[in-house]
Amino acid sequence: MFMLEIENLTKKFGKFTALNNVNLQVKEGEVFGYVGPNGAGKTTTIRVLLGILQATSGTAKVFGMDAWKDAVEIHKRIAYVPGDVNLWPNLTGGEVIDLFVSLRQKSDKEKRERLIKKFELDPTKKCRTYSKGNRQKVALIAAFASDADLYILDEPTSGLDPLMGEFFVEEVLNLKNNGKSVILSSHILSEVERLCDRVGVIMRGNVIKTGTLDELKQSAATADGKLPDSMEELFMRYYHSVGSDVLDAPSEEV
Amino acid sequence: MKGNFDYTGKLVKFMLRRERIIAAIWIVVIVIFTVALAPGLEAMFPDGEARENISLMYDNPIMVSMMGPIYEIDGEYTTGGIYAGMMLLWVMISVAVMNIFIVVRHTRADEERWRAEVIRSLPVGRLANINAAMLTALVINAILAITTGLGLAVAGVESIDFAGSMLYGAVLGASGLAFAAISAIFCQLSASTSGAFGLSFLALGGSYMLRAAGDVGNEVLSLISPLGLAQRTKVYVENDLLPLFALLIITIALSALAYKLNSMRDLGQGFIPARMGRREAKKSLLSPFGLSLRLLKNAIIVWVISMLLLGASYGSIIGEIDRFVGDSPEYLTLVGLSPEILELLSEQDKADMIVDGFGSFVTTMMTLIALVPLLMFAMKPKSEEVDGRAEGILSRSVSRPKYLAGYVIITFTMSLIMQLCTALGLYGAAAANEVNPFVLEKLLAANFVYLPALWLIIGLAVLIVGVFPKAGGVVWGYYGFICFMALIGNIPDLLPAWVANLSPFKFIPEIRVTSFDLFPAAENSFAPLIVMTVIAITLTVIGFIGYRKRDLMTH
Repeated sequence: MFMLEIENLTKKFGKFTALNNVNLQVKEGEVFGYVGPNGAGKTTTIRVLLGILQATSGTAKVFGMDAWKDAVEIHKRIAYVPGDVNLWPNLTGGEVIDLFVSLRQKSDKEKRERLIKKFELDPTKKCRTYSKGNRQKVALIAAFASDADLYILDEPTSGLDPLMGEFFVEEVLNLKNNGKSVILSSHILSEVERLCDRVGVIMRGNVIKTGTLDELKQSAATADGKLPDSMEELFMRYYHSVGSDVLDAPSEEV
Repeated sequence: MKGNFDYTGKLVKFMLRRERIIAAIWIVVIVIFTVALAPGLEAMFPDGEARENISLMYDNPIMVSMMGPIYEIDGEYTTGGIYAGMMLLWVMISVAVMNIFIVVRHTRADEERWRAEVIRSLPVGRLANINAAMLTALVINAILAITTGLGLAVAGVESIDFAGSMLYGAVLGASGLAFAAISAIFCQLSASTSGAFGLSFLALGGSYMLRAAGDVGNEVLSLISPLGLAQRTKVYVENDLLPLFALLIITIALSALAYKLNSMRDLGQGFIPARMGRREAKKSLLSPFGLSLRLLKNAIIVWVISMLLLGASYGSIIGEIDRFVGDSPEYLTLVGLSPEILELLSEQDKADMIVDGFGSFVTTMMTLIALVPLLMFAMKPKSEEVDGRAEGILSRSVSRPKYLAGYVIITFTMSLIMQLCTALGLYGAAAANEVNPFVLEKLLAANFVYLPALWLIIGLAVLIVGVFPKAGGVVWGYYGFICFMALIGNIPDLLPAWVANLSPFKFIPEIRVTSFDLFPAAENSFAPLIVMTVIAITLTVIGFIGYRKRDLMTH
């Protein structure tokens, strides 16, 4: 069963095509990596999945329900961490965590305290005094403290220090072991490499490749059969191989 | 430290560039408003007798406390004197608001969003930013002062001469700068943008109240208030330059204090310490409605107290009414009563009639003031959306109508509470006097009768938020138009009827607030109230439907 399924999704803002015929699936119990350069359409895809933006054409389904029409029903079973977290300046981190968790379900106090301790967040401080990393911790704690079926994480670690990044990986593995599904958009490729079962690569609004890491590496082999050594190199090869004709290229499952 | 002011010039250029459109709108609107009214006033009061009548009407504690004194030359009233008396205070207040926005935007707001940090990392002096913000305000105020002054000078009214007009402009600019300096100080004290705004507007309100108390009582109080001091230039009557210089010196001193405070603190910090908050949320916060109530809570408290106090300050003046009932024949003749009828009236009746007239004036003014927070509340979901915070809620299991409903319910409820506060403030303070001319039920009715008009305007705001979120300016533009119509819309033939009919306040029936009932009130029709309510509901419903159907604005 697919936890989320996107078919021929196109999203236009006026004349600009942000997403062009995107196809994606995330299976149950799978951690799916979503990578691509800045402005490629990762966040737009996620916002369509959340029913914040409406698809111009195509379908986006989560748990088999329509992402736009059944948004509220879907949201009962997902947890979301945005990349750019803007919080209410005069609420404390603790208050925001409680608010976020409670808008889905009853709060699990023990879990909350454990995570606050683990991520070393001072929950009594007003959000206006938090750094980007601390704001991200608030969103992460709220997400990990909720009991969801699908976790949508949009560049969740861009402001975290390496130690906190490690804790983040631990928590995601924890979810994985519990059979939860995750879609993780990230620029931190080592994170993607360690966590993700399958990866989708999006460039300029087109998902150009999806598959396991090995499959992706195979597909990016050079003419003499040399595989990319690292995620970074893989990524660079894609980056350079994509010409200006990308908008016409069909999405390819490898 | 060396080079504290380095690169101020470049920053000023940069700030002026950021301000160019907003400042241009402010200046154009203020100049048009200022210049267009002068000939109209001249036409309204063409001769000395008419001018004396209107001045007598204004020469009572209530009006003086509200508008400030109207000055005369050897017992002669001029159009210029009346114009300055009726207009200067209000225009100064709008210029002050403009200045508060300029200073907060370029100092504390930039710091809170960490834009100032990037600037500071450049080879820029430590005081360059605040210095540039003040100089930016100086440039904008100077342009405003000169264009207003020149505009008035060529408006073609005899008693509005060149020297007086230039002084009028200069006083506007100087009082504006004074509030720029005051808000610069608050930007040092408070570590948050909202705090800096709140304190600055409190200071503006305080200056208004201080001069209100001073103008009817101890004159010294008025001199402490920048607004009161500015009025003492007696523009077009005596053109006294001394208060203007005093105002400029005070402004320089206040700016120096702001610079000093700025140099004493770290970037991003304030002198009012940030308090720690709750570790866990209260139950009451944990719903979309609870969140919106919490976000608006401070504003609600401040506005409720302000409305009670403002109402009370007008109510307390009612006690002085007897003092000038002796002069009332002129006033009563002015409102169209013949001497024969006047003879039939008791002193009490006369006082009641005067209270009725001012009651309706005060109620209109207070309702206009109440609209400011109501529109801010109604538009709050839009700013939450633009700042990306609505997304945080709507990505959870909260439907869009439910989210929007929180703010809409609060706004509509507050419309009721604001009107109630005005009435209670007025009544409560008047009740402290020996004779309370107000009848509570009537006073309440006179305030509540405005509700359908408020709802209509709130409905428009909901529609804009729901369907055209980028057009938020329309709501404030419409509000400005309603204020304009309420203040000067009664000047006959100034505007075509269809334009005047666009203001919902025009259709509000007048309700007497005293026990006086010898003459029937003006022909009152309550049908428009029903129409307005229906329009308000329709606009609100369309807003909700639109909010459901559109993409959220994202950054």
